Amino acid sequence: MSKNMKEVIEKGNAFACIQCGRCTGSCPAGRECSMRTRKIVHLAKMGEDVFAIPELWECTTCFTCQERCPKEVKTTDMIIELRNISVERNYFPSMAGVPRIIIKNLYDTGSGQPLSPEVAKMRSIIGLAKDPCDVSRDEKDLKAFQRLLDSLPLMRGVAK
Amino acid sequence: MTEYAFFPGCIGKNVYPGIEKATRLVFGTLDVDLKDYPYSCCPPPGVVACYDKESWYTIGARNLALSEAEDLDIMTICAGCYGTLHNVWHELTHNRKLLEKVNENLDTIGMHYSGKSRPIHFVDILDGMRKEISEKKEIDLGFDVAVHYGCHYLKPSSVTGENPESPSVLDDIVGLVGCRSIEFKDRLTCCGAGGGVMSGEPDLSLRMIETKLKNIQERNVDAIINICSFCHMQFDQSQKKLKRFEIPILHLNQLLGLAFGHKQKHLGLHMNLVSNRDLVKKVKMARRVSA
Repeated sequence: MSKNMKEVIEKGNAFACIQCGRCTGSCPAGRECSMRTRKIVHLAKMGEDVFAIPELWECTTCFTCQERCPKEVKTTDMIIELRNISVERNYFPSMAGVPRIIIKNLYDTGSGQPLSPEVAKMRSIIGLAKDPCDVSRDEKDLKAFQRLLDSLPLMRGVAK
Repeated sequence: MTEYAFFPGCIGKNVYPGIEKATRLVFGTLDVDLKDYPYSCCPPPGVVACYDKESWYTIGARNLALSEAEDLDIMTICAGCYGTLHNVWHELTHNRKLLEKVNENLDTIGMHYSGKSRPIHFVDILDGMRKEISEKKEIDLGFDVAVHYGCHYLKPSSVTGENPESPSVLDDIVGLVGCRSIEFKDRLTCCGAGGGVMSGEPDLSLRMIETKLKNIQERNVDAIINICSFCHMQFDQSQKKLKRFEIPILHLNQLLGLAFGHKQKHLGLHMNLVSNRDLVKKVKMARRVSA
């Protein structure tokens, strides 16, 4: 599925944006950093290279802006799609590269947050099975899961 | 007996197993049967959806497909897992082309998803069991609490069907076990953990939760109650990092577990970084409901 900017902007209804700034005013991340949702929507709509701005990765995807937009612009959905294009073009600001560790954990163990030996012990202390019932419990399930991941675009550029 | 497929999520089983245990105890008390499946991570809406949505849909659909043969809906205990699974379900049941693509991917491992098996957040199950919760209550806890909803349980409302500007279900449920939900400034804002920000932009994430904790501390509550394992982790770990807060933090199922008379050790209350000791003392002094 190739995603191009035009498709993302149209799907996100960005042309309806009147630059009122309700998104920026509602943004809990923007209060603490330089991210301005209104600016991201504007730049994307004008066909600017939004991938060069690291603020694209400062959104927590809380959806407050999208919820409150009076013109029904899908701001959060757009930020997620723009990040997808950014990854597809292999453009990573440094902080966007960090979550790759989580993807590697997902591949190796089936969980983004893997089980540590300490927590395994804690589990048995409170009467749970030491190993949780999940995809990593049976080697056969984990191998099949990894085969599925191997076929997906997610693993692009993630060291196995 | 009501039965659900149980999706514990990475944090609930691998980081704070007390949340998994409390869930099993609480739903056992409520006569709801939980069935286990070989799930993977949901996968996280922040990290995986932001990297590649097609992969996110496919991995999510594999999880949804596991309980389809038995026609079971999937109960999640984390707003992040719910955000993923519910969005995947919603998109795949509204977009035939995408469903076909996802099934083509799943075919590599001989699996198929039809859209029948549906994710449900545990709070929505509890919402329909208010009478049973009141009947099973053994202790009126009497805490003053700050409740935290978790963004992806509420939003986007076009998908969740919730009222994200003035929700009340969590306030109501804590009320059933004798707790008072205390108003605080900006109570519905994000905890700062989502969107890959916790791992990618840890300083920003910490500033966001610090503001939130300050607003809560002003109201001098006994505990913060959450319905999301990921928010739970953010509230607990950040307080340790910031070194200036010590507000007990409980997942709603841990709170209900206490009210149903389960032992605090079995609920994993000692597994947080922030101490729950004072809270446990209060439970001992709380009023027992006469039979």
